[in-house]
Amino acid sequence: MNALMIKGLLFAAVLIGATIFVVKSMNIDLSDPINMITIIGAIAIAALTVGVSTKYINQMKSDTASGELVDTNWDGIGEYTNELPSGWAYSWLGTAIWAMWYMISGYPINAFSQIGQYNEEVIAYNTKFQEIHANPDAATLTQMGESIFLVQCAPCHGSTGDGLSGKAHDFTNRMSKTQLLDVIKNGSNQLGYPMGAMPPMMAQGADAEAIATYIAGGMQGEQPASYGACASCHGADGKGMAGMSPDLTVFDETLVSNVIKNGKKGVLGTMPAYHDRMTPVQMKALAAYIATLKG
Amino acid sequence: MFHWLEKNPFFFAVGVFLVIAFAGIITILPNFAESSRPVVGLKPYTVLELAGKEVYKKDACIACHSQMIRPFKAETDRYGQYSLSGEYAYDRPFLWGSKRTGPDLHRIGNYRTTDWHENHMWEPIDVVPGSIMPAYKHQFTNLADIETAYAEAVTVKNVFATPYGDEFQATKAAWEAHKPKVLADAKAIAADMKNQDVKDAVAAGNIPEVVAIIAYMNRLK
Repeated sequence: MNALMIKGLLFAAVLIGATIFVVKSMNIDLSDPINMITIIGAIAIAALTVGVSTKYINQMKSDTASGELVDTNWDGIGEYTNELPSGWAYSWLGTAIWAMWYMISGYPINAFSQIGQYNEEVIAYNTKFQEIHANPDAATLTQMGESIFLVQCAPCHGSTGDGLSGKAHDFTNRMSKTQLLDVIKNGSNQLGYPMGAMPPMMAQGADAEAIATYIAGGMQGEQPASYGACASCHGADGKGMAGMSPDLTVFDETLVSNVIKNGKKGVLGTMPAYHDRMTPVQMKALAAYIATLKG
Repeated sequence: MFHWLEKNPFFFAVGVFLVIAFAGIITILPNFAESSRPVVGLKPYTVLELAGKEVYKKDACIACHSQMIRPFKAETDRYGQYSLSGEYAYDRPFLWGSKRTGPDLHRIGNYRTTDWHENHMWEPIDVVPGSIMPAYKHQFTNLADIETAYAEAVTVKNVFATPYGDEFQATKAAWEAHKPKVLADAKAIAADMKNQDVKDAVAAGNIPEVVAIIAYMNRLK
């Protein structure tokens, strides 16, 4: 046993002692196998470090050069006539083959692309979505609609769809009187119904007032005479003549998808278009859910 | 020289570093330059939007909001198309942020509107129950610094060749000539707002910070 080995053992003892000190002072629970494995690993690393370095330092100290030198030397640096180490040779060969593959097909064809990965993710999701929801039943649609509503619509319309006291459209009621009066006054050409633009000022003053009260009240009771101006497009029953113009009584699928596609600017504020944020099935689901909100 | 390098390992190492660094730079930089070019159709910020960007920085929106949509389905579902580096070409500095206490804002202009921002800045929990964002009522009274914003526009035009028109000059006359445009932008925003004090201020030629930041938010698309 020489001085170097003694130093090495001392160093290993210090490392292991420090590890034990840390374990004690941090109250590490050694009954947890993960902690136990970590500590064993730490001690093994200390032992290996000391063992391996002692071996090579010893070797550097005691080894003398042996072997046959080639005849030439370069600026006083010579070379042994050793065989090429086989490990080195195989690594070199392997690297050469890999480099060929990488140059010809690896980089140009199989390169990683972040956007490519994203596209794959989206395609996989959409395929799965279409498979699962090819023919969704009403309950699934309503449930899907609710989750879409909570993410996309609730920030403006409120999580219950009540429009947060007039900050956005209130889905518990088809239309408020304020909104009706505004539409009657200004007309509307935003929703892309086949019937086209609704002209402004179809009714004025008391007539407009009467129409607004009647429609806001859910079209119950006696129809005011002035409603005739509306009936030509929205129908006497206010149902919008089977999709030709907006239904004044309920939120139907046509209305919801038209508003999502075109956005809407009204007396309460502006709603941006949302159609690029959902699929047709999701839009249908949203319509199904919104239809359930009206009390 | 090579003989000398062979005898001086330190300088040899420096030489190796320089050669590899040079190779790296000529491989990497052209790609950077390519992808940081403005995307087609990108316009520099208007003066009002720049003033809003200053409010965004001043009120430290970046501490809780990011402006960088990553290419993951979950993220693009919620925030829209993933961000491209060319979209930040006129952001000096860009405001990517690194913390999402609140949502990402890079395309907020696509799905929120002036009136929503007005309600939200005044009292966030009125529109988002449970929101932990503080109210920014001071933005309704503090005035936006549009003169500094104009100076910023002129500076980035001169230093970075940001394509503002020839009318952007560092003279008082040029600013006086441009100011009505800023006011017109502010009036267009105020027309969609409900707060009477803000409307009055804009009509009187003063631009509250909230108008500027809404202009900036609406611009983020």
